[in-house]
Amino acid sequence: MGELGLIHQLIIPVFGYTVTLNLEVILMTWIVFAILIVFGIFATYKKGVVPRPLQVIGEVFVEQFYHLTEDALDREMAKTYGPLIVSLFLFLLLSNWLGLIPYLQEPTKDLNTPLSLGVMGFAIAHYAGIKSKGFKAYIMEYFQPIFFMMPLNLIGELAKIVSISFRLFGNIMGGSIIILVVSYLTYNVVLPPLLNAFFGLFVGTIQAFVFTMLTVVYISVQVK
Amino acid sequence: MAIEGADLVKAAAFIGAGLSMGLGAIGPGVGEGMVAAKACEAIGKNPREAGLLTRTMLVGQAVSESTGIYSLVIALLLLFVV
Amino acid sequence: MNMATDFEPIIRLSAYIGGGIAMGLGAVGAAIGEGYTAAEANMAVSRNPKISGDIFKNMLVGQAVAESASIFALVIAILLLFLETPSAGELKAAALFGAGLCMGFGAIGSGVGSGFPGGNACSGISRQPAATSRLTTNMLIGSAVCQTPAIFSMVVALMLIFMDFGKAPTFPTWAALIGAGVSTGLAAIGSGYGGGLAAGASCEGIARQPESVGNVTTIMLVGQAVAQTPSIFGLLVSFVLLFKSFPESTALSASMALLAAGLSTGFGGIGPGIGNGMAAEGAVRWVARNTEHAGDLMRTMLVGQAVSQSTAIYAMVISLILIFVV
Repeated sequence: MGELGLIHQLIIPVFGYTVTLNLEVILMTWIVFAILIVFGIFATYKKGVVPRPLQVIGEVFVEQFYHLTEDALDREMAKTYGPLIVSLFLFLLLSNWLGLIPYLQEPTKDLNTPLSLGVMGFAIAHYAGIKSKGFKAYIMEYFQPIFFMMPLNLIGELAKIVSISFRLFGNIMGGSIIILVVSYLTYNVVLPPLLNAFFGLFVGTIQAFVFTMLTVVYISVQVK
Repeated sequence: MAIEGADLVKAAAFIGAGLSMGLGAIGPGVGEGMVAAKACEAIGKNPREAGLLTRTMLVGQAVSESTGIYSLVIALLLLFVV
Repeated sequence: MNMATDFEPIIRLSAYIGGGIAMGLGAVGAAIGEGYTAAEANMAVSRNPKISGDIFKNMLVGQAVAESASIFALVIAILLLFLETPSAGELKAAALFGAGLCMGFGAIGSGVGSGFPGGNACSGISRQPAATSRLTTNMLIGSAVCQTPAIFSMVVALMLIFMDFGKAPTFPTWAALIGAGVSTGLAAIGSGYGGGLAAGASCEGIARQPESVGNVTTIMLVGQAVAQTPSIFGLLVSFVLLFKSFPESTALSASMALLAAGLSTGFGGIGPGIGNGMAAEGAVRWVARNTEHAGDLMRTMLVGQAVSQSTAIYAMVISLILIFVV
């Protein structure tokens, strides 16, 4: 049970402050990147009208998420934000599935990964909002319906970052804790593989999709 | 167990913060669920307007979430200001 | 006289109170759920008396699954009543009381919730006798998934009963143990009830359109999995409270912060769990009527559920602040 809360860290002193690097999470994130890049190279290698299996898989993902983005935003905007959405989903999906492989951990299990992705989505949504509405109209929205609602509107916006990132973190972390505890209680007999399939594959896929959809939704709410 | 005035105030503030956010989360959670259920019903009846209906649902949910945000603000005030 | 025997009366006292709470509250949910199933079964028999045998069989199977939540409560209550706790410290008293609270609250939602699929499957059989086997299968899947929050509560209760808290300082830790029980127990109410709403709507939908069974079962499972998120948050906070070691402090505020952390996530999980279940219910019901747009409906359901979960997430954040920051 000691594995709970065990994190490999690299602590670097910088001018009296300390910078903590979470080596395990960085390594796992780079593994996901590597898998994605290799997949991308092989899927687009010698692409033709008659697609090869990897190309088909790639096309399915790209097409589905382009449609989603087009439905929520419009055709022009989907060209700008579509690639972001597709790669966000693929990254999250692989990250959530990574824990299925022995000795590897989900990078999303550490709060830093979902939080930074959430901040990224938030920043992009607000950039898109300012770009499409103009700065003045964007600022005026915070003073709706009455001017003194401004602090509450601001907290409401910031709370979105909290909710989107803690949802992913809570689900993945909760799932891995349940797997660990149940494996310990049952001495690794029968139940853990089933739980891995449920939390790793099923919940991981749903949460990757929810995170991606919410990023699209935040952009579309800001734009319209 | 020594209980002093400041300690008692702090203890009450912590319990208050927990109850404020905990109980305050019930209403918005149920209410937003109702909104989502009705939006699904409307999309089932009229799938062509799915985009508009989803946007309306999000606006309605944002408004009904505001009471949850008020509880969050009160909880944070109780934790850090009091 | 050594230390262990000193605490024995207190430990027995709290174990008996905990056992009473576990079984007393644990019986509430299953009783309501099974009553709903029986009521619907009666209506179904009056509608279509010729197949009363099928309906009766289905009712009994549905009630048997709905009962499992209160059987978990019975197991925990029996353990609390008869388990010997030799040489346990005074923290065991808090742990056993927390275990009782956890299992008692945790069985309510799943018990009520798993009555809905049973009842709706009975009335569905009376409408569409040809779909009996599909309805029974779907009912069993739906009400089994509904039990997950009760199983989470049982896991936390068992850990509270069997873990050894020998070296932990008594003073903030007692509140952490009770908080751990309350957090998972209360948060399970909403998720169990919500999962039941989704499963009930799926049985109704399949009776209306038996061909839609594949789509309906898929969306039901996705909806139930998302509706379980609040109870997973409750479990997460419980485990943090169970495994983190707290520095000794006799101040009241240190204990109350940990208790409040459990209460916040626990109560905060109830509403979002029910709301997520309602969203899933709406989506499942309309997927059965409009199968071509299953994709649109699932997307709207997921976004709606995600937004309605945000208050549970705020509650979890407040709990984590109470545990780690203040």
